[in-house]
Amino acid sequence: MTGFADERQMAGFKDFYQFSAPTRVIAGRDLLASAGFEFAKEGARRVLLVSDAVIRATGLVDRVAEGVTDGGLELAAIFDAVPQDSDGAVVAQIAALARETGADSFLALGGGSVMDSAKVANLLFTHGGSAREWEGYYGLPRADDGAGRALELAPLACIPTTAGTGSEVSFAAVIKDREAHVKYQIGDFALIPRLAILDPAATLTLPPALAASTGMDAMTHAIEGYVSRDWNAHADAYALHALALIHANLERAVHSPADESARGNMLIAASLAIVPTTSGALGIAHSLSHPCGALYDVPHGVANAINLPGTIEYNAAGGDDIAARYRDLAELLGLESAGEVGQTLADHIRGLVVSLGLPTRLSQVGVTEAGIPALVEGAMGDACTLVNPRVPTAEDLAELYRRAL
Amino acid sequence: MTYFKDDQEVYQYLGQLFLDLLADEELAPKFRAANTIVQYCYHNPESQITVKLMAAQEGQVDLGPTRLEPEVVMTMDADTAHRFWLGKVNVTVALARGQIKAKGPVAKILRLVPLTKPVFPRYKAQLQAAGRGDLAEV
Ligand SMILES: [Fe+2]
Repeated sequence: MTGFADERQMAGFKDFYQFSAPTRVIAGRDLLASAGFEFAKEGARRVLLVSDAVIRATGLVDRVAEGVTDGGLELAAIFDAVPQDSDGAVVAQIAALARETGADSFLALGGGSVMDSAKVANLLFTHGGSAREWEGYYGLPRADDGAGRALELAPLACIPTTAGTGSEVSFAAVIKDREAHVKYQIGDFALIPRLAILDPAATLTLPPALAASTGMDAMTHAIEGYVSRDWNAHADAYALHALALIHANLERAVHSPADESARGNMLIAASLAIVPTTSGALGIAHSLSHPCGALYDVPHGVANAINLPGTIEYNAAGGDDIAARYRDLAELLGLESAGEVGQTLADHIRGLVVSLGLPTRLSQVGVTEAGIPALVEGAMGDACTLVNPRVPTAEDLAELYRRAL
Repeated sequence: MTYFKDDQEVYQYLGQLFLDLLADEELAPKFRAANTIVQYCYHNPESQITVKLMAAQEGQVDLGPTRLEPEVVMTMDADTAHRFWLGKVNVTVALARGQIKAKGPVAKILRLVPLTKPVFPRYKAQLQAAGRGDLAEV
């Protein structure tokens, strides 16, 4: 086992890795009506449905609520007030509502914020405390004095309405601390939802701009997952197929919102692409993007779309072993890379971002040169920096921000 | 068999390392930039080291009981801590395996991990100087 530093292993048989993808996934058409039938198999009896006002306005909440009761489950209550960024107060409110209404399970219908809210509300519902007290990784209660099996939370099912975060199968939740202006993470295996229902009917009302930005988040997960120092063979299988699906479907899913097959395949791609992160596989595109969100409210997917190309160029120049991994991806995308593979791949992604109609520069989304030191501060301290294949200095990150301005 | 026979040995070796780090003119400001108070709770043997890392203040290391209120708590076997400072532990893996448990704003501490690399040979040398070269063989 290695220390941190420059000892990385980008190919071959690893000394150690850990992989987990336990969520039961059902994917296909006309699944919203069977939400209750499917969730019953996970032990749900009386369901708290968690969503937001935008989703409610599309009529999706009512359809899913009907699906819950049609399946013989009781609907304890509907909470439809999750904000754009989930926070500690809202998850406490959801947990309290679950207790008051005698719910025994949670069904999240929405994007990343809704799903993360349901995850953390479930945590508070099961184990008590406040969200901030649970900040950290792998800190949830376990049997046998903390050494045994992670204690189960109440059943949680997710129906994503964006094809991006992959929270419906992931081990983490992001919560905003509104007073401290930071987003913090809670990550542990027990947070992984038991059931994910992937039905394009849930994303048909998603506007093209959101389909584009969340899709670029998924693409960033696939690429960073594959070229992380915490890559592993199991996770590679997920990352590579996710990228193939994104390549084949993202543009269509954005430009033809009614294309059910493209939208459905993007849902599947997003839930495949997030899986490597449960092994810790990500990188500095995410480190660069997190503070853009925290300090400038740049949507996560938009920030990734801007930061990913520069990250690839920077990492690929860090060694032949890293470039070899990017070469796999370039080949999968059918790119001719006679020259520098990092450049080829980065240019391809820049072209894609333009075709999706997303901003390509940080200056277009409100970031200024004067803000770079604070951004670098955040990015250096981001956990994703530790698993990036190349070890960046603060000056490296500053240069990446400057070039992306 | 554990590396340290009692809490006093933990303080004598790991504790001394923290004291040395915070006395180092070059390294101390970098570690203090974390702006937090971190407590390392060790098992086998039971022991506890609390470190104040605040940018504008002197560093402080409390071996055993403390009045400092930690923001981040890292729990692990003393052996894991020992092996970490010898460069033998991958922190992200140890977190994922549950060998290190982290509570609180962990990113504040994870950002220090890359800074620890130059400390590994120093810890080894410190053990050897104390006549405990046996501990450096892991
Ligand atoms: Fe992401």
